[in-house]
Amino acid sequence: MNPLEVTLNRLRLPNPILVASGTFGYAREMQSFAEFAQLGAIIPKTVTPLPRIGNSPPRTAETSAGLLNSIGLDNDGIEAFLEKHLSYLLGLGTPIIVNIAGHNIAEFGQMAKRLNSFKKIAAVELNISCPNVSGGVDFATDPKLTSQVVAEVRAVCDLPVIAKLTPNVTRVVDIAAAAAEAGADAVTLVNTFQGMAVDWKQRKPILGNVLGGLSGPAIKPLALRIVHQVAQAVKVPIIGVGGIQSIDDVMEFLVTGATAVQIGTANFYNPTLASRLVGQLTDVVKSQGCQRVTELIGSLQLPNRSGCQK
Amino acid sequence: MARNTFRLRLYCPEIASRIVPGQFFMIRPARGSDPLLGRPFALFDTYDDDQGQPAGFDFGYVTIGKLTGLMPSWKIGDEVSVWGPLGNGFPMVPKGTKHLMCVAGGIGQTPFLAVARELLTSRRYGSPTRDVTTSSTKVSLCYGARSADYLAGLDQFAINGLDVRLATDDGSRGHHGFVTELLKQSLASDCPPDLIYCCGPEPMMHAVQKIATAANVSCWLSLETPMACGIGICFSCVAKIQQDDGEWDYRRTCLEGPVFPATKVVF
Repeated sequence: MNPLEVTLNRLRLPNPILVASGTFGYAREMQSFAEFAQLGAIIPKTVTPLPRIGNSPPRTAETSAGLLNSIGLDNDGIEAFLEKHLSYLLGLGTPIIVNIAGHNIAEFGQMAKRLNSFKKIAAVELNISCPNVSGGVDFATDPKLTSQVVAEVRAVCDLPVIAKLTPNVTRVVDIAAAAAEAGADAVTLVNTFQGMAVDWKQRKPILGNVLGGLSGPAIKPLALRIVHQVAQAVKVPIIGVGGIQSIDDVMEFLVTGATAVQIGTANFYNPTLASRLVGQLTDVVKSQGCQRVTELIGSLQLPNRSGCQK
Repeated sequence: MARNTFRLRLYCPEIASRIVPGQFFMIRPARGSDPLLGRPFALFDTYDDDQGQPAGFDFGYVTIGKLTGLMPSWKIGDEVSVWGPLGNGFPMVPKGTKHLMCVAGGIGQTPFLAVARELLTSRRYGSPTRDVTTSSTKVSLCYGARSADYLAGLDQFAINGLDVRLATDDGSRGHHGFVTELLKQSLASDCPPDLIYCCGPEPMMHAVQKIATAANVSCWLSLETPMACGIGICFSCVAKIQQDDGEWDYRRTCLEGPVFPATKVVF
């Protein structure tokens, strides 16, 4: 029995420590830093139907305990991905979750269909929440569109499907419910929070794209809050992501109700972290007197709020 | 080293024994979340232990940001996170090169100490088998700064055989004007450079690129672009680099550079 194994509907992973799309390159770049075999899954950088040149620099700006980015899905397109990266990735022995983004529902469907012939892919994660792509529809701001994208991908692709959702809405719960209803095996909560950085002396925004997405430790409480809200309201496995940089951060997400987590921005400044967290998780499970990590998932005890205080 | 300019020494044999001139590394505090990301710095020089083995390395920095502002308060024995060596260093100087000219602006001078020491002294970097055969190459450094008090590391650059020429914007030391004017003078001399390495602010590098192209001299630029990781996973440090099809593409400076042939860089 593997005490760290987790199951998210049709997706079974050796452990709940994943690395987030856009923060791990195509894994090759990380070979001297990470122990791939340790990881629960690797999610390479978002793939789009056609090559995208990405946004004008500067593409990142550091903020207090955070990182604003506006990369703009710089990638060589799905055909180049399949040719140049997929066989390397699938040869690593670590589950590979391919993250895709399209401009419309048909593009998501076409890409999912293309990936469906690669049965070794562990799952498909739908990036319906990138805040940095102009011209595209931010599907995950609308429950109906979210439902349509997920349903389209489910119809053409047998691989497990994960919907990666945006926090830039009033109620993520509604979007998560729509994704679950349409057949998503899990939801990833959350993509970056839209933000901005300004150089007031130059009277200029710092990012070439003006707006960007905020990640890093600064957003951890916000991401935790959303994981909590969805965990309480929707019956769907959650992959938590947002500012995780230690085993305590991992545990906070797991007890709040995430079945797995993604390490994102921390890969940039601590590239050996993700693989080390797996060993630390084993220790925590043991020290908590548990047989399996699943005993800790969602174990948060909420205060009894039945009494209304005056 | 100079006004607002400091040198920091790190004990790290793992990097010191592998890093070569023009390569860089990333550094951040070992703990804490603010500053969050690592920052890239170029190798200034390595130092050896008592047995003559590489023990660590020095780098130069200007206190302009959140991390560099903290660095002067770091104390001997403090632990920091460092990863490297990263990127590609300057290319090996081709056999038969008559005159290598290093053109530096501001803190962009730091990579050239190791370049000069490797070519002109018995100092070696990286693998012991690294082939450095340049006995007949003349090496010079044209170094420009805002004013005399910003000129850093002049004592280190006092290397036998290194021709150092200075320029300052205000004329407080050396040539009164741009460092590129010194480059033009040298190109018009009877021993013109047939190889140029350049590192400095973007307008300066753009000017050097034009001058080198006009003179048909082989030229390499060491770019500085905002980096979040230094290892190729964040895609923020991109620069416009001309591809084989003649079109430019955004390429990662950390992996494919930071040193690029000047003919490939699109400003």
